[in-house]
Amino acid sequence: MNTYSELAEILAAKQKQILDIWTERTLGTYSAPGFFKKSLDPFANPVGVQIRSGLAALFELLRDQAEPAAFVGPLDQVIRIRAVQDFTASQAVVPFLELKWVVKEVLAQELQRRLLADQLNEFECAVERMALVGFDLYCQCREQLYRNRIQELKSGRARFTDGGCPSRFLDAAARQEQMENMRK
Amino acid sequence: MAVIKVDKLAVSVAKGPSLMTGAYPNKPWDEVPAVFKPGNYAYPTKADKLEYLNSQQGVSFPNAREWSPEDDDWKLPENWKEIILQGLADRLDRFRSLKIFMDCCVRCGACADKCHFFLGTGDPKNMPVLRAELLRSVYRNDFTLAGKILGKLAGGREMTVGVLKEWFMYAYQCTECRRCSVFCPYGIDTAEITMMLRELLHLVGIGINWAMEPVANSNRTGNHMGLTPQAFKGNVDFLCDDVENLTGVRVNPTFNRKGAEVLFITPSADVFAEPGIFTCMGYLLLFEAIGLDYTWSTYASEGGNFGLFTSNEMMKKLNGKMYAEAKRLGVKWILGGECGHMWRVIHQYMDTMNGPTDFLEVPKSPITGTVFDNAKSTKMVHISEFTADLIKNGKIKFDKSRNAHVLPTFHDSCNPARAMGLLDEPRYILDHVVDKWYEMPENTIRERTFCCGSGTALNTDEIMELRMRSGLPRANAVKYVHEKHGVNTLSCVCAIDRATLSTLMSYWVPEVEVAGLSELVGNALVIEGEQRQDLTEGLRTLV
Ligand code: SF4
Ligand code: SF4
Repeated sequence: MNTYSELAEILAAKQKQILDIWTERTLGTYSAPGFFKKSLDPFANPVGVQIRSGLAALFELLRDQAEPAAFVGPLDQVIRIRAVQDFTASQAVVPFLELKWVVKEVLAQELQRRLLADQLNEFECAVERMALVGFDLYCQCREQLYRNRIQELKSGRARFTDGGCPSRFLDAAARQEQMENMRK
Repeated sequence: MAVIKVDKLAVSVAKGPSLMTGAYPNKPWDEVPAVFKPGNYAYPTKADKLEYLNSQQGVSFPNAREWSPEDDDWKLPENWKEIILQGLADRLDRFRSLKIFMDCCVRCGACADKCHFFLGTGDPKNMPVLRAELLRSVYRNDFTLAGKILGKLAGGREMTVGVLKEWFMYAYQCTECRRCSVFCPYGIDTAEITMMLRELLHLVGIGINWAMEPVANSNRTGNHMGLTPQAFKGNVDFLCDDVENLTGVRVNPTFNRKGAEVLFITPSADVFAEPGIFTCMGYLLLFEAIGLDYTWSTYASEGGNFGLFTSNEMMKKLNGKMYAEAKRLGVKWILGGECGHMWRVIHQYMDTMNGPTDFLEVPKSPITGTVFDNAKSTKMVHISEFTADLIKNGKIKFDKSRNAHVLPTFHDSCNPARAMGLLDEPRYILDHVVDKWYEMPENTIRERTFCCGSGTALNTDEIMELRMRSGLPRANAVKYVHEKHGVNTLSCVCAIDRATLSTLMSYWVPEVEVAGLSELVGNALVIEGEQRQDLTEGLRTLV
């Protein structure tokens, strides 16, 4: 599978620049991203470092035209974080697609060559496939959140409130209220 | 070719069209209003709970009503602003620490990137310095000369409904974990500022149900769950049956027994919810093994004190109940189970609120003779101190192979670690009950431990996303030791942690389970006359 090998070489040569911009733009989606961008300590700065290294891994996989399954790990590393932050679904996954834009900006001159322009189509298709897998993972993360909620309700951890004494369950009004709360 | 500047491109000076332009924040922090939407706020207190609490002696919780943070109108009392400013004036008068914290911050920023809420959200108002600024700006405006004259120029802000809403948002995105205070050169404790914000909000009827209903229950029946004395005893009896099935040892704890030497108090979650019940089985076995003369109380049936997350008066009242019960039963001292914030209340506030406890004796282990001088004023000993002392004096025997199924790491819970300095005893116990265990990275343990993200009554399910993002720094360190060493168990000494870390793990590191330290003690404990089955999962084994 060597659908964009010439382009891949150029991607390798420009790797640092592309990654810098891609990371910068992705971390720029946070309100106060200074620390996320600056600190390279993986334990003091999990969001910044995990996203940075996740994007780097994804870029290398694209550059090497890796099998789709290989993308899951690093995609998950990025999207599991964004899935619980204050983003809409599209804002959470848009960084993956944004790579197309970054590459076109950085390789503006090179892409004037016909051969590379053709290969760019293939590359972009790979990016989109990656983003779609990212979206699946996003959905899985959200489902996990709801499973967590149900699990807590079932396990009795949630019985801090409105539970306790069994006589409560005989209380029709309380039950009604509970149902309404669940629907909320 | 022109060199493309990273920072320029980051703020979208795109030549071609980009999908991402709408994703960037574009306003300074003080111009971003707090917007409440499902998932980012905990449900407000139910009117009947608040009414009940307001009817109780010694506390005041006015303005019970149905309301929603999503509504524009929060149904505040007409003179709400006056109430808040007067409330602030009172507290500046009463708490010298508050006044100092308001005045002495130099905005050095050392605390800014230390809060797990900031680290999980990137929201500047979750930097401790800005969280405090939400209150400090009002303080400047109305209580300092510069602020009165210069207003905004001196960093003052007028108290408005918008500011009040911001307070509610960010006072409940702080778990009062005190990690930030470890890094502040002036020792400013943002947790105490959050406590003040929450108190002020209660003056006008703003609070969350997950804090207030357990408080109401504790006040009424003695524990968060509202378990009646019969139900509480029934739950412990069930656990005794389980212990017997698993180990062949019959334990017969007593309840409300006058004249017992020791009163044992633990979070009620230990007697009814997984995985706390396994920890509770550990206590029961340990006390049986050493023949401790102790009693449970069905009135002081809660170690937790959600009053700490509510108001000073409420905290005092709930704490007082434990000591009143110790006095009534005539015990010599109190042994406390694996709880987090109970220990903060005991170590930092108990003495001035409800002390002196001169009706109790300085705790002395009846087994080893060790006198716990460190507990001279509170008369209350932590189960880990007590267990570590038993081990040190060779009074209990372990078979580590019974813990072969666990490869633990240890999570320092915020309060035992930072509010009472309980750092080495749990580690000493781990050394003796398992073959091997691993520390998480240095800047995430001991005094610098990361919070579970769900403390201070934020352990409710409607804010699951918020909890998952604020728990990320903790989970991230667990993930590291899981991947590097194969760690499969996160051990800890806090009931809220046991519940919330379980949920946190299922999102971030599902291969890791959570266990109380006393569960691991119970697993490995060798007791005379026992007939243990082959327990491949210790006390969790289904037989
Ligand atoms: S006390 Fe904890 S949660 Fe609150 S601001 Fe400080 S670090 Fe953040
Ligand atoms: S570390 Fe202390 S002095 Fe520095 S900004 Fe934070 S609260 Fe203020």
